[in-house]
Amino acid sequence: MAAANGWRDEIRDQVRGFAGGMLFGIPLLFTMEMWWIAAHSTPPQLAMVLAMTFVVVLALSQLSGFHADPPRTFRRVLADAVEAVAMGIVVSLTVLVMVREITLATPPGEALGKLVYHSITASIGVALASQFFRGAADEPDSAGEEAGGGDLLGTVVDLGATAIGAMFVASAIAPTDEIPMLAAATSPPWLLGVIATSLLVSYCVVFVSGFGDEEQRRHQRGVLQHPITETMVAYLVALMTCAGMLVVLQRVDLTDPWTGWLPSVLLLGFPAAVGGAAGRLAV
Amino acid sequence: MTDRARSRRDPRSPAEWVTFTVAALIVGGIAGAVAWLWIRGFDRPADAVVRRSGPVRQVGSRFYVRVEVDNRGDRTAQAVQVVAELTQRGEVVEEAEQTVDFLSGGEVETVEFVFTEDPASGELAVRVAGFLLP
Repeated sequence: MAAANGWRDEIRDQVRGFAGGMLFGIPLLFTMEMWWIAAHSTPPQLAMVLAMTFVVVLALSQLSGFHADPPRTFRRVLADAVEAVAMGIVVSLTVLVMVREITLATPPGEALGKLVYHSITASIGVALASQFFRGAADEPDSAGEEAGGGDLLGTVVDLGATAIGAMFVASAIAPTDEIPMLAAATSPPWLLGVIATSLLVSYCVVFVSGFGDEEQRRHQRGVLQHPITETMVAYLVALMTCAGMLVVLQRVDLTDPWTGWLPSVLLLGFPAAVGGAAGRLAV
Repeated sequence: MTDRARSRRDPRSPAEWVTFTVAALIVGGIAGAVAWLWIRGFDRPADAVVRRSGPVRQVGSRFYVRVEVDNRGDRTAQAVQVVAELTQRGEVVEEAEQTVDFLSGGEVETVEFVFTEDPASGELAVRVAGFLLP
């Protein structure tokens, strides 16, 4: 029983770290200048960046970390820092593979450069994961009830928070050239994978990471009672937010055939889904 | 004090050992790969070469010629300019140009040229005209 709890806690800690890394790392993971810097870096530069990342993450692990309980000994802080850097690398690899910046045809030196450079921000996000939503976890989830609106208001608050969170994260990416560029290089089966990854990460942030009040959310008020329903409806809200932003910023034209703008909306939908999930935890 | 908090002071659980070991292998693997690149050498200048890839594709009156650009050096080449010239009886009848934004060491990119004359009707020469050093 204790062993089972140990595994459950550990998986939750790891998912929390992964979600923190995603939230913090996503804006730079969608920045083409970062891909280019990484592509023409030399091994001594990469070694220096890796060492610098480790030092920063070590300091943050001492202050915060991604485990529910802060580490108490230096050996434990050291181990947490190694885990945070590794998780930052995994987060970077996941997103870079998803946007096809790392493929089987990518030269090893370039792939390594991209992983090392992007793991700076992703690892910092992992090391700060337990701080992100500590406030939300400490406060009762009462946005809907306090206002006296009951189920409907609770749902509206959740969806509004999803849209605002989606806008917050996606607004750093929507006006840039990266989305049309990535959309041009993608394919329908790949987009199905992007949808699945967006839903999975969004579900993990809200219901597995232990970030906020996910136990309450499982039994919560509102029309979106089931975690899977909530995840899917929130994803649709995030996609609509993306479509709206891309139209307002004149990156897509809805009078064009839908086959032209759908890939852009789905690709921007990934950071938006992560932001939307974070937004739901913040209310 | 919660059970969880108490367990943090105790020796690590098997779950924590497993995740730490996997993490140490990932970080060690990345550091090892950087060291391997360093030892192997990384200073050969960019050397961009082109080669024809596949047969000419005809759609209506247009002829598509696919070309692969390969950087055989270690350093990255930026704004690689690839030029294709179709010559008939010693005279250039059509030329086309493409630019590859970034070509890192060992990377291969594919570009396509479009001609209105059939490349088989003359001599097609494809070459790299130049690139920037980033």
